[in-house]
Amino acid sequence: MVQRFFRRFIHLFHRERFDRELQEEMRLHRDLRAAKLRERGEPDPQAASQRRFGNTLRLQEESRETWGWRFLDEIAQDLRYAGRQCRKNPLFTLIAVATLALGIGANTAIFSLVEQILLKPAGIDHPERLVEIRERADRLNIKSMTLSPPNFADARDSRQVFEHTAAERAAGLNYSAAQAPQWISGSAVSVEWFDVFGAKPLIGRTFLAEEDRPGANRVVVLSHSAWVKLFGADPAVLGRTMELSDEPYKIVGVMGLAFDWPRQTDLWVPLALPAAAFSPNNRFNENLTVVARRKAEVSFPQAAAWLKVLSDHVWNSGYAPAARMAKNTGWGMFGIPFIDFTAGDNRRPLLVLLGAVGMLLLIACSNIAGLMLAKTSARALEMGIRAALGAGRGRLWRQILSECTILAAAGGAAAVGVAFGGLNLMLRTAPEKAVTGIEAHLDPYVLLFTAAAAIVALVLFGAAPAWQASNAGAEAALKDAGRASTPGRARLRLRSALVAAEAGLALILLVAAGSFLRSFARLQAVNPGFDPRGVTTAMFSLPVKQYSSAEKQALFFRAALERLAKTTGITAAAIAVGVPFTPYGDAGAFMIQDRPQSPSEPVRQSERRYVTPGYFKALSIPLLRGRAFAETDEAQSELVALIDENLARQYWPNENPLGQRIRPTFGQDFYTVIGIVGHVIGSDLAADSGKGSIYFNLLQMKIATPVAWIVAKGAPASLAPAIRAAVHDADPTQPLRNLKSLDRSVSDSLAPRAFAMWLLGLFAVLALLMSALGLYGVIGYSVAQRTREIGIRIAMGASRRSVLISILAQGLRLTGLGVAAGFAGSLLVQRALRSQLFEAPAFDPFAFVVMAAALLAASLAASYAPAIRALRIDPLSALRYQ
Amino acid sequence: MPNEAIPPGTLDLLILQTLARAHPLHGFQIAEAIEHRSEDVLRVEEGSLYPALQRLLVNGWIAGDWGKTEGNRRARYYRLKPAGRKQLERELFHYRRVSEAIGKILQPA
Repeated sequence: MVQRFFRRFIHLFHRERFDRELQEEMRLHRDLRAAKLRERGEPDPQAASQRRFGNTLRLQEESRETWGWRFLDEIAQDLRYAGRQCRKNPLFTLIAVATLALGIGANTAIFSLVEQILLKPAGIDHPERLVEIRERADRLNIKSMTLSPPNFADARDSRQVFEHTAAERAAGLNYSAAQAPQWISGSAVSVEWFDVFGAKPLIGRTFLAEEDRPGANRVVVLSHSAWVKLFGADPAVLGRTMELSDEPYKIVGVMGLAFDWPRQTDLWVPLALPAAAFSPNNRFNENLTVVARRKAEVSFPQAAAWLKVLSDHVWNSGYAPAARMAKNTGWGMFGIPFIDFTAGDNRRPLLVLLGAVGMLLLIACSNIAGLMLAKTSARALEMGIRAALGAGRGRLWRQILSECTILAAAGGAAAVGVAFGGLNLMLRTAPEKAVTGIEAHLDPYVLLFTAAAAIVALVLFGAAPAWQASNAGAEAALKDAGRASTPGRARLRLRSALVAAEAGLALILLVAAGSFLRSFARLQAVNPGFDPRGVTTAMFSLPVKQYSSAEKQALFFRAALERLAKTTGITAAAIAVGVPFTPYGDAGAFMIQDRPQSPSEPVRQSERRYVTPGYFKALSIPLLRGRAFAETDEAQSELVALIDENLARQYWPNENPLGQRIRPTFGQDFYTVIGIVGHVIGSDLAADSGKGSIYFNLLQMKIATPVAWIVAKGAPASLAPAIRAAVHDADPTQPLRNLKSLDRSVSDSLAPRAFAMWLLGLFAVLALLMSALGLYGVIGYSVAQRTREIGIRIAMGASRRSVLISILAQGLRLTGLGVAAGFAGSLLVQRALRSQLFEAPAFDPFAFVVMAAALLAASLAASYAPAIRALRIDPLSALRYQ
Repeated sequence: MPNEAIPPGTLDLLILQTLARAHPLHGFQIAEAIEHRSEDVLRVEEGSLYPALQRLLVNGWIAGDWGKTEGNRRARYYRLKPAGRKQLERELFHYRRVSEAIGKILQPA
């Protein structure tokens, strides 16, 4: 069977040769027969031979058919004819193909993106079983934070619920093998980290349980990218030693390309927590990212319930300080499906985009439907004639289907291009953080699905006239088409409904886009409490050994800052940890001297920022009261702190905070409050927590975090080289990282919103265009149908103005219907979107009115061209028309 | 079908059998060989041999190779393929069973 098909298939490409050879064979046959007949004395051997042979043409035809070619021939003929039809109506073809391409392509691109972010992140085996475990403290208004080691241990030891549980913490490391020191983004992970994700190493092994202990942890697993970047993908790296922050680490394994958790990690080292970290006192020292893999038979709600059980156990534990703290702060552990957690901020904008692109597909489908209706009803006469001439029902169907096939094929091919281009464009323009690890590959199933939807619309409405022609009989079709009467009108009504629906959908998209735009503008106008303009930041890490004391650190800071201060063009510079809109903040509890905390009062909490004196000038943060840090504050002088206005208001509402002494829980020292500065928004313009801050002077204390930021304000061009030079001069072994303008960091924080807004706006404009095209088609068709009527009206003395108005009014009426329907839809959609918008009213009349006006204007423009055509109608020829 | 008196497939069977006895043969030679044994099959339309040959080719039972005739003209010579030989045996077996059965029915009791 297969072989037979294969032989036929091969023959397809040798058709001409086949014909030639068959003719030759038959000719030889007839010649030989004639020769034989001649021998017998036949008077006209040629003719007799031909007689005996039979009808050569028919026999050839029959031979050809044996190879199953007639069917193919007819299809080829249909396709050629359909191709001619498409070429004859270039505008129609262009609109249909473009509509298909945009509808299918945009959907495929968005769905492919969503699938990778929300459904199947790469490098995870059964991602749905992964749970991110977090803590919250309801009474401190902390909704989600990392885990402390004792809590991690509780989850890890719950083997009946979690197959594997692992903790992770960032480990900034310097790699000094190369000439210039390089910053390595490392992750310290507990031993089961790779098991949680179900990831196996490409070569070598991952960690052993005994390596996850202090002192035994000088081993490293490389990421694929680091293996390539640092070692040229040399398989012989296993067993070699690399220097990380002046410590030798033995390379034991390399992970595959797909495994990238946490994102953009260069290498993994064992977490190796000391036993003391798991002591009950440490229960509220949160610094671990914890991910667990549920056992297959444990559901997510069951896992969540178990975390609640663990939390309750702490509340009721025998260790009184922990129980009290848990109760006071409203503390608890909870789980989030890992995929939801990593998708994070992108999840909701992506869902909004999904909805928008779905609407776009609906509009595209109704546009296609409308186009096909118009086109095929215009051809009802042709169909009728062909039916009358004896074209079979099947043949008419095939004719229509082959036209649809050509449009679908062209549209589908263009859609793949649009989808691929669109996805690449999105990946390039999307905020980097949102799309790391995402590949530009399209999901073939999505492509098939959306293409199927559009093609169903195409065929459904394209085939209607064929169905009508073949059912109603040729006669009816001829009569009807000849007069263009009632059935045409029914179809026009359907088309009008489609156009109104398109306008409604377009309005919903437009209003949504408008709301996003306005919300974004409001957001950009938010005052963050500091001025990021002209400020550049860069991150560096301090090797613990080299800068073991506050004095040594201060020496390095002063050297770098002095060098910067000398550079022309730089107006202010500082070293800081906790710069707004940059990573690595710190927060924690503090005590106030002479004001003991009652057990029922929530723990006093603040953000902690560590800065050198120039910080407030560099960021233009105003000093509201008291004095700022001075160069003369140093490790030996009085320890001082600044607080921001929010902290002052929260804890000293009716007294003067200046001169008060506070003790942060990281040490035993008290700090005197010497001044109050303005509040700054830390990371999210849309949702500032309002939490107060304490500033510590970096010249007085040893830095607690492994990294610090250098901040400089001045002429943009000179900043980056100046910062590089200054750090290099102070310590040539210090690599810099994340050199970035603060302006950029702030706008990057809005990037997911900007991205969603940009795409939504694009979709809305496309929707507007498509609905205008749809309207243009309907009005144009109705004008063509009414040529005679319009001619008569003009002949009877109707003014051209009244004709023009009647046609424009028809367009406006349809769009108006759509606007009314879209109004209702917009109300619903706006309510659903409200959580995505910044300070948005329940209903934004401004966005609605502006967008409705835009839609009506577009509809006027779309009906104007056919209206002008109507005005040019010559009454005499119109009367003769048809 | 040009020859309605003849059961369909008979011509195919004849071609296969002809080629089983002697091959390769070109179209005219096959026609002559069949005519020797069965005047009727090709009486009405000799050319119907060619569509029949295509059927056998499509099924992979025979193969054709170009060669030269005695008069030095190009001709396609057909030969039986192993699959064709099997098909011939199958058909002959089937044919014999049917004719035996018919024979039994027609035998006077």
